[in-house]
Amino acid sequence: MDDVTAAVRAEGLVKHYESRTGTIEAVRGVDLTVEAGEVFGFLGPNGAGKSTTVRMLTTLLSITSGTAFVAGLDVAREPDAVRHRIGVALQEAGLDPRQTGRELLILQARLFGIAADAAAARTEELLALVELENAADRRIKDYSGGMKRRLDLASALVHRPEVLFLDEPTTGLDPASRLTIWDEVRRINERGTTVFLTTQYLEEADALCDRLAIIDDGRIVREGTPAQLKADLRERDGLDSDPSLDDVFLDATGRTRSRVAGDVQEVSV
Amino acid sequence: MSQAWVLGQRALREGWRTPEALLPTLFIPLFFLVVNVGQAAKIFPAASTGFLYGQGYGAFQLPSSLLLAASFGTAALFLVEDIEGGYFDKLRASPVSRSAIVLGRLIAEIAKGALIATAIVVLGVIFGISIASGPVGFVLLVILTALWSAVFVGFMQLIALKTRSAAATNSAGLIFFPLLFLTPNFVPRDLLTRPMEIAATLNPVTYLMEALRSLILRDLVWEDILPGFAVVFVLGALMLFLNVRMIRSYD
Repeated sequence: MDDVTAAVRAEGLVKHYESRTGTIEAVRGVDLTVEAGEVFGFLGPNGAGKSTTVRMLTTLLSITSGTAFVAGLDVAREPDAVRHRIGVALQEAGLDPRQTGRELLILQARLFGIAADAAAARTEELLALVELENAADRRIKDYSGGMKRRLDLASALVHRPEVLFLDEPTTGLDPASRLTIWDEVRRINERGTTVFLTTQYLEEADALCDRLAIIDDGRIVREGTPAQLKADLRERDGLDSDPSLDDVFLDATGRTRSRVAGDVQEVSV
Repeated sequence: MSQAWVLGQRALREGWRTPEALLPTLFIPLFFLVVNVGQAAKIFPAASTGFLYGQGYGAFQLPSSLLLAASFGTAALFLVEDIEGGYFDKLRASPVSRSAIVLGRLIAEIAKGALIATAIVVLGVIFGISIASGPVGFVLLVILTALWSAVFVGFMQLIALKTRSAAATNSAGLIFFPLLFLTPNFVPRDLLTRPMEIAATLNPVTYLMEALRSLILRDLVWEDILPGFAVVFVLGALMLFLNVRMIRSYD
């Protein structure tokens, strides 16, 4: 696969920060390829480099070294062109609490160069997609956590992006809201959008992702479909049945269940 | 420019929906005006004080209040909220020109500054101050004050972008007090002590204050007015340049 056809392709991606105590190596050489149309899961414990990688791929962070192409465009050389092709919903729902949901979506559409009438029409479509029509004229500060996430997701879709980056889109949500987001992610993907999803919830990755990569300590330590990763571990450890994705994660990151507590959470829905 | 305009409209809504942040910018300058006039008006009687051009001391003090009103920089605190809440990253991840992100807020700040300056001048007129330069002077007074509010908020935004901290940004705003008091705030420049006169001459805010004061006390004296506009245009261009550069390199 070449840079033009892959939705996301990174080679040797590195991010270093300078701090008072020295250089922090947040990402130490990530290689990954996401095919167009996939839902790609990016897993890892807290501080493993997930969000840093996403921020580099979405033009929000400079790249220390390595290359990244998104929608066939060089992230470092053509950041503005990349921004036209991607949608981004980051860990903190990036919303303005003083605007209404409708105002925020119209504004976002206008910033992507959509004319006023078309922006209003697109806003109605998106409000329907994320089922926020009845709350559209309420200030965002009065929205619940789940409503904010759904609105954030809608705002990332105003321009029909080719690649949608979702950074822990369900963290902190109740199970019902989480299921709603899952349904929306599936719907968005069915319409042809590639989804790059970071999550701490292994069951979420299992339910949504076609393929996934596990990052630990700034490096990719496993990559494949959930079924492949489980089968690999089963074969390697000589297990009688398929292990869970939790077991794959623990094996990949060298963690034990007690050590991982607080890093990765399981959810039952 | 259309991106700057839609972001400006958003910033105006933000200000309008947060009156608790806007009202102090009106009341505190009026409070200082009343206190300063109450303390010094008897020392400078209108009839025998040449630099008052026949008006009361309130007319001489009005520019200080206008500049104070224009130097709260609340928009920079809204920017910190955007940064902390993630909305700033949402904007940065959109194909919005970096100058539009800065200009949007500055447009809103100019509109808010003009509104507050108008309110303060109208209140001054109600309490007996006349604008000697007439309607044109009134408009120039409002425009100059509004432009200064954009310059000052540009400075505050630099601090906000650098520190990403509301506390640090708020503290940086206090720099206005030395800038305000190192001016011919209570008497004209030629009546200051020599060290103070040198400091005032080096301080760009002096030229703004003298321009505003000239518009209130005298007719259109361009040699007083133009240096004030030159200060806001030069500093405004500098702030715009520095803000855009900082957003471009923001990591």
